[in-house]
Amino acid sequence: MERSFKTEVGKLRLGKGQTFTGEGILAVTKALLQSGVSYVGGYQGAPVSHLMDVLADAHDVLDDLGVHFEACGNEAGAAAMLGASINYPLRGAATWKSVVGTNVASDALSNLASAGVLGGTLIIIGEDYGEGASIIQERSHSFAMKSQMWLLDPRPNLPSIVRMVEKGFELSEASNTPVMLELRIRACHVHGSFECRDNVKPKFSRLNPISKPSFDVGRIPLPPANYSQEKHKIAVRMPEALKYMREHKLNEFFAGDIGEVGIILQGGLYNTVIRALQQLGLADAFGEARIPLYVLNVTYPLLPDEVTQFCSGKRAVLIIEEGQPAHLEEAINSILRRADINGPDIIGKDILPMAGEYTSEVMQGGIGGFLQMVLPDGIDNEHIAAVLEGVVAAKSRAAELLGGPVPVRPPGFCVGCPERPVFSALKLVDKEIGGIHISSDIGCHTFSTLPPFSLGNTVLGFGLSLAAASGIGPNFSKRVVTVMGDGGFWHNGLSSGVSNAIFRNDDGVLVIMENGYTSATGTQNIPSTPGLLPNEGRQISIEATLRALGVTWLERVDDYQVGKVADALRRAMTTTAKGLKVIIADGECMLERSRRSRPIIAAKLKAGERVVRTRFGVDPDMCTGDRSCIRLSGCPSLTIKENPDPLRVDPVTTVNNGCVGCGLCGEAAHAAALCPSFYRAEVTENPGWLDRLSHGIRQWLIAALSGQSGQGRRTS
Amino acid sequence: MSRPFTILVAALGGEGGGVLADWLVEAALNEGFPVQRTSIPGVSQRTGATTYYVEIFPTKGVRRPVMALIPSPGGIDLMAASELVEAGRAMQNAFVTAERTTLVASTHRIYATSEKMVPGDGRYDSEKILAAAPQLSKQAILFDMSALAQEAGTVINAVLFGAMAGSGVLPLSRASCEAAISGGGRGEQASLRGFALGFARAEGGAAALPAQTTTGIAPQVDRVRQDFPEPLHTLLGEAVARLNDYQDEAYASLFLDRVRQVLPVDRETRGAADGYPLTSEVARLLALWMSFEDIIRIADLKTRSSRFARVRTEVGAKDGQPVVIVDYLKPGTEEIADILPVFLAKRLRHWQKQRGKPFSFGLKLRTSTFFGFLSLRLLALLKPWRRKSSRFIEEQAAIERWLGAVRRLGLASLDRELVMEIAQCAAIHRGYGETLRRGRQALAKIFDSLLENEAATAKGIDAFRKAIRNARIAALADPDCAQPAPAKTAAKSVFWMKQG
Repeated sequence: MERSFKTEVGKLRLGKGQTFTGEGILAVTKALLQSGVSYVGGYQGAPVSHLMDVLADAHDVLDDLGVHFEACGNEAGAAAMLGASINYPLRGAATWKSVVGTNVASDALSNLASAGVLGGTLIIIGEDYGEGASIIQERSHSFAMKSQMWLLDPRPNLPSIVRMVEKGFELSEASNTPVMLELRIRACHVHGSFECRDNVKPKFSRLNPISKPSFDVGRIPLPPANYSQEKHKIAVRMPEALKYMREHKLNEFFAGDIGEVGIILQGGLYNTVIRALQQLGLADAFGEARIPLYVLNVTYPLLPDEVTQFCSGKRAVLIIEEGQPAHLEEAINSILRRADINGPDIIGKDILPMAGEYTSEVMQGGIGGFLQMVLPDGIDNEHIAAVLEGVVAAKSRAAELLGGPVPVRPPGFCVGCPERPVFSALKLVDKEIGGIHISSDIGCHTFSTLPPFSLGNTVLGFGLSLAAASGIGPNFSKRVVTVMGDGGFWHNGLSSGVSNAIFRNDDGVLVIMENGYTSATGTQNIPSTPGLLPNEGRQISIEATLRALGVTWLERVDDYQVGKVADALRRAMTTTAKGLKVIIADGECMLERSRRSRPIIAAKLKAGERVVRTRFGVDPDMCTGDRSCIRLSGCPSLTIKENPDPLRVDPVTTVNNGCVGCGLCGEAAHAAALCPSFYRAEVTENPGWLDRLSHGIRQWLIAALSGQSGQGRRTS
Repeated sequence: MSRPFTILVAALGGEGGGVLADWLVEAALNEGFPVQRTSIPGVSQRTGATTYYVEIFPTKGVRRPVMALIPSPGGIDLMAASELVEAGRAMQNAFVTAERTTLVASTHRIYATSEKMVPGDGRYDSEKILAAAPQLSKQAILFDMSALAQEAGTVINAVLFGAMAGSGVLPLSRASCEAAISGGGRGEQASLRGFALGFARAEGGAAALPAQTTTGIAPQVDRVRQDFPEPLHTLLGEAVARLNDYQDEAYASLFLDRVRQVLPVDRETRGAADGYPLTSEVARLLALWMSFEDIIRIADLKTRSSRFARVRTEVGAKDGQPVVIVDYLKPGTEEIADILPVFLAKRLRHWQKQRGKPFSFGLKLRTSTFFGFLSLRLLALLKPWRRKSSRFIEEQAAIERWLGAVRRLGLASLDRELVMEIAQCAAIHRGYGETLRRGRQALAKIFDSLLENEAATAKGIDAFRKAIRNARIAALADPDCAQPAPAKTAAKSVFWMKQG
């Protein structure tokens, strides 16, 4: 893993009356233990990786409680794990990034929801929606609705989140239904505190296993049970859930003096709504708002009586729900219509945007617009107008002064990343042969689709790149190249893509980026992770797996050898061999490698041992500024600076201090025959006598014979 | 105070923005203030732009306020940016407003890929941000924090934190901030040093903008003084020195002879009043062209004592510390033919043509070792031989062709813009290998179809100028960056295997 979670693990042990201070997603982790879970599974991904990471480091805490934790093969595996709670009174939790993880999990989720659960099951979904998101933008809400799983969306403060975790299990058990707890990215990373309770040892667990299997054909999705399961959801589980929600007041009402209007909102948006009201002069710093609020900590199902109670007698109600379709707005309209309440205007997506994140600015505009439209008594319309215009004016003034948008800065490969050189090679080969169709996958390597590489035509899901090539392959005049990470390979690629491609004798080229971890999510372990400790798992080799499956054309290349990678690609593209051609691009994630090697080097330096450090450089007097090297790399440490040569006006290319000496610059310069400006410098720390002697001789030689820089010619 | 103090930190992945946010939380807790922070790490951690948002309610012992998770435009008290364009992005999003925001930002630049990958100069104009900052903010504290971080041997986050504290608006005492850093373990002392430097600099107040230094060199040749007007002396002095160094005095004299040919055109187009722009540009480009980079030149530059010294500084080698330099060279038939006499070069190129595939060999030459150094030094000693080399002869002809066009069309049209346009075509000729080959072809085409084509001027001078300009820009652009994608080159004849 990218970092250690030792401090966080300590927080999981806190007991009654002690205060937990930390991140939202870690508060959820602690709340799971306070709820007496027997097992936790999941698949890593922002923003829920830390839940997995901290549990992976928390063997002692889990062992004491008897809690089983598993980093699952994918989200489908994690959802299927919840099957343990169908027959037995075991509380279980699973977590993943949504909506993508929910997509992968949906087969198991449907089956789980249909069968129903005996033990409470909670699915913690990290909504990667809005700013900073790296996935498709869809709602998880639709999944909850179609499978009748209850969806919690707590107010984003730690006490509320923790309460909803605990209540979520009870709700699940009260209604025999799996419950989803939705947390937005900023809520997962919000730093706050809550008062702990003691962890609860589950009744049944590793320490006290269940001894007798429970069989009930009614839990199997075959006729006639599948029909009765559907009816049971509607006839029994839904009413039980509503009853629990009502009795335990899971949703919250906040009074306000401007009673002719009201706002119904998703709990997760509460703080943003309050901030917008504060800006508009309608709430104080402690959340006392002048407009009545109905906060949905449970966004599915809705409690019809609470909705009608809130809306009755109001002139207009604003529905604030992020994302589309507008499930809440539609449901509320339907509830009111059924209850024959035609009084209040229900306003939502007509004034707030249908799509996109509800940022502070959007919220302020939406609420302000709503109030300007309805004009309830007691609001200061002029102030509202001034606030809204202020933002517009500030933006346009900035745009005017800056004279155009500043350059964008999307994420990219880290300095020294082993994947970058593979795309340098692919770019060279792509140019040579006049364009390749590349089927891309999910992972750090998806950054290849951005400049300077701009390689990769489609992304269809995690581990699905090879399957995605099966349609275009036969319909394209050249071989199609598929790129897949080792994370994607184990997640889904092996079954959906590789085995079928071999089975069907497909003629594609598959490049597997073997960097050893799911690096994009924080370098978690996968089956092929090198150097696993015995308690971390048993290593499986991707190469051996592929050979066992019958791959005959397989080459393993060192990522950093751009020329050799390019040669392998050329061979794969031109060979007469039939069947899938696999190139394993071998290079351990630089973050992990340096995490391991940094302390070793530091110790050596401290002990006075000889260490050679390498970095690259560009001779400024040879660089002519065409930037071919940058277009083949995009490395953050390969950059530009003012040209020291007074006759040249363009900046000069340079390598900054961030360079880790990975070697790409030099290899790319060779492979693409770029220019002679690149050099590698090997600096010896703690040199021995032999180093010093040979250095002395060389220095003397160079001093005696080297060219002196000409008068007036500046070289640095 | 009736509302929280809001802080938005803009940073790039890997700069320690998360640690800085932690420090702010810790310092606020030290003061006993309610505090909340959040962030959107995700993949933006991987070198992209990201932000951290912190709210502090600067009153002790109050009930818990409701604090926002998302920054509001127009609602930021302290905007901190670890890099200049990130400060610009914050302004663009209205996170910097004159009523409320103190902007604390570093003035150094970390160029975005879109700026770096463009041939020539694709940099965003920093001046725009520097000029807008004081106008858009209540107070702008801008200085190069990267340099201070280096000085303190720490990461930029410490200096930024110091500057935020030193700005005087942060509702946290210096002691609380320093105590927050002190709990941080690794690199604590360096962080504190960085904090102190940032604090002192910000406390000093006013925006300190980096001074632009222009260096000049006194003219070295009397002839420059006698034959050329004063505004050209510095540039010509620089150029003459370069060509003396590149070849010999005679070559530098040839340069001056050539520049003199252009002077009348400049005078005729009223250049004297504006400091002889045409002559300057021609002289600059001519000096670069005349000192074209062949193997001899590269070998010479690579084996200078000044170069070894520069590399040592760049890699941070201490005195007496051994440094081995490995140069990545890949000469091909073209580069070898360049330094051969014409008849041999012809043969070699003929052989290359028959062979089809380009031939080159990759060398990783250890230039700082005995053997590596001597082999390059010997090549450098071929300098006198250069005048006989095939490329030298070809380049002189091409230069004359270009200068001829500048003179002829300049005097004929007396249009300064046109003649500047023609002069700048020389910039197309640059680089190595494929870039050089493409540039040469493009330049030749401009001569054939425009500059030496009577018909091209038929549509009038404006159209002619525009045509040259478009051709020049197209030639300088790279297929990867060009806006209108040029037609793809034909695929090479490779045998593609398809199943079935």
